[in-house]
Amino acid sequence: MANLETQVLDEIIVKGRRKLLTLGSAALAGLVLGGTKEAKAATAYTDADILNFALNLEYLEANYYYIAAFGCTIDTPNAAAIAAGAPTGGIPISSSTFVGTPGGPVSMTGANMVNFTGQTAIGAYATETAIEEGKHVLFLQGALSSAAVAQPLINLTTAWQMLGGALTPAAPTFSPYSSYAAFLLGAYVFEDVGVTAYHGAASLLTVSGNLSAAAGILGVEAYHAGLVRTTISTSTDPNITGTVSTAVSISNLRAALSKAGLLGSTTVPINDTNPDDLGPSPVAVTLAGMTGYTSSKIVNCDATNAIAFARNTTQVLNIVTGGGAVNGTTAVSPAKGIFYTNGMNAGPNGFK
Amino acid sequence: MDSRLKPFIDKALSRRTFLAGAGSVAAVGLMAGCSNDGTTTGGGGGGGTGAYTDLDILNFALNLEYLEAQFYLYAATGKGLTAANTAAPTGYTGSYTMGTVTVGNSAMVAGTTSTQQQIINEIAAEEQEHVQFLRAALGSAAVPMPSIDLSFFGPLALALTPAVASFNPYASFDAFLIGAFIFEDVGVTAYAGAAPLISATGVASGYLNYAAGILAVEAYHAAYIRTALTGRAISMGATTPTSAAYPYVGIANQVEALRASLTVGNSGAPGTSNTGNTGAVGSSGSVEVPLNVPQSPTTASAIVACDSAHAIGFARNVNQVHHIVYGSATVGVKSGGFFPNGTNSIFSTTTA
Repeated sequence: MANLETQVLDEIIVKGRRKLLTLGSAALAGLVLGGTKEAKAATAYTDADILNFALNLEYLEANYYYIAAFGCTIDTPNAAAIAAGAPTGGIPISSSTFVGTPGGPVSMTGANMVNFTGQTAIGAYATETAIEEGKHVLFLQGALSSAAVAQPLINLTTAWQMLGGALTPAAPTFSPYSSYAAFLLGAYVFEDVGVTAYHGAASLLTVSGNLSAAAGILGVEAYHAGLVRTTISTSTDPNITGTVSTAVSISNLRAALSKAGLLGSTTVPINDTNPDDLGPSPVAVTLAGMTGYTSSKIVNCDATNAIAFARNTTQVLNIVTGGGAVNGTTAVSPAKGIFYTNGMNAGPNGFK
Repeated sequence: MDSRLKPFIDKALSRRTFLAGAGSVAAVGLMAGCSNDGTTTGGGGGGGTGAYTDLDILNFALNLEYLEAQFYLYAATGKGLTAANTAAPTGYTGSYTMGTVTVGNSAMVAGTTSTQQQIINEIAAEEQEHVQFLRAALGSAAVPMPSIDLSFFGPLALALTPAVASFNPYASFDAFLIGAFIFEDVGVTAYAGAAPLISATGVASGYLNYAAGILAVEAYHAAYIRTALTGRAISMGATTPTSAAYPYVGIANQVEALRASLTVGNSGAPGTSNTGNTGAVGSSGSVEVPLNVPQSPTTASAIVACDSAHAIGFARNVNQVHHIVYGSATVGVKSGGFFPNGTNSIFSTTTA
């Protein structure tokens, strides 16, 4: 097996494209040292810690889509949401058994509801995604039971301007609620990150059923991401084609924050010419041995092997907190900023 | 009647107990049985009770990627995989028998816009990269490309209810979407079903990362296809999936119904109570989610194929995937459909 492993490693290192992350990178280090046993040894985290990390992300995503599609937060019963499949009593965000400091309902105003008039397809996508992300919250709460964390304090208002200000070029007045096109960019911010987070987490899970569920949710997040990137990439609506360059700058920002989240480790090569996030700009490809073809970039995956990227929890935290997880080459805990004003609600030893 | 239609006529679809593989797996000639890496005994959601290795799982995936790559490369360029991407890998032991491709109508898709062509190019490039990547990861254990019949789309379309005569997926962009639709959701479920089968050793070797990473890419592709079908229907004024204004959504749903009738045995969303596939689209246990044509922004679209209770993506086991690509619900079938000589996999014989 050493031969196969060596070949695989060569493939990874020589091509320098795969970002194996988290356990992946730990496993990689283990292989280099000549053993595979220690891959998980350094990790004291439980499946519940990992699922709670995911739950924190789902609280964020679900609230964004509920606000945009229904003009309410996930805990509020809303006729339109219920008609589309939301639970009649709203989605719980805290309870006597939930762990952590409840952050309360997300602050918003009715004006945050996006005007999808005349935009049936995009509105329908927003509605579908809201319902599905809400179900992810419910599913994870159910799977975690009394270990589930409460919804942390989440900022989905001024956070967008903070995020916009960090883009190049800066967009300090950005609001995803201002139009259907801006809504797509807000969705773009989250969905690819969800894919990388579940991908990074998959290898950390120890219970087979949890892995199956994580793989299933990974798939759904990738469908969502594919939906958003397809809409941005293929529309002929000038309001939407005008968002492509911003989507590219969002990818660039995420790549930079992700790279910083590696805390100086070079085990997984991410650099400015080899980012772990690619915006929806067409690229040249070789097909059937022939050069000269142009490809869209719907799929956020590496250019050599077409494998989706994975990120570890520090990388994800650094993205969703706008750099709050890293100080130089040192991890900051709790990571906070942008969407998570006080950081995530982790379990006792969880990721934060 | 085309002899390849015969399997469809078999209505003896008994809904069977969990799984698949069973005893026949071990009896099948082992094309890929040269590995002793991480031998596992089949379990939940898996491929049976016969012994298989992590390399068997990757080789199962490689068979599917050969098929997808050939389909998309012809659609993009009119040519298929290069000799370098199908030649015997270095160190291959035994007789390397490469299959042939029955090209049928395969050609560059007619009448596409440049944006549409770029999409086709992208999927082709990524599926081609999956072939390259899996062959590199498998090294000398990589199985040869099996014989592939790209003319099977016609018979398959005739098996739809109602039948679609003279179907050619290369004839137009919309026909291409239907051709792609046949594969993509299946690819997602195949990887979701395969990922939990990978052994702990395989996880440490990065195999789970590969499977999860490719799963995500397949889901991006599936989302593209479903988004395009839904969006085109709305933009062309369709009011129902079968509207004359854009009938392709309805045809896609017919494909789902056919796939459901071929998904023999239990399946469903992993990690949930949804463990039974009743075969019928729309039933509680089905792994198919029919597309709709929303008429208002507050109606949820159905881009994501996931379970309605938890929004978790579905999984199919290796046997169910074989039933689909062979176009046969019959037990004990070793070949057919897109694989006229069967797959080069230890799972190649269909079971109950």
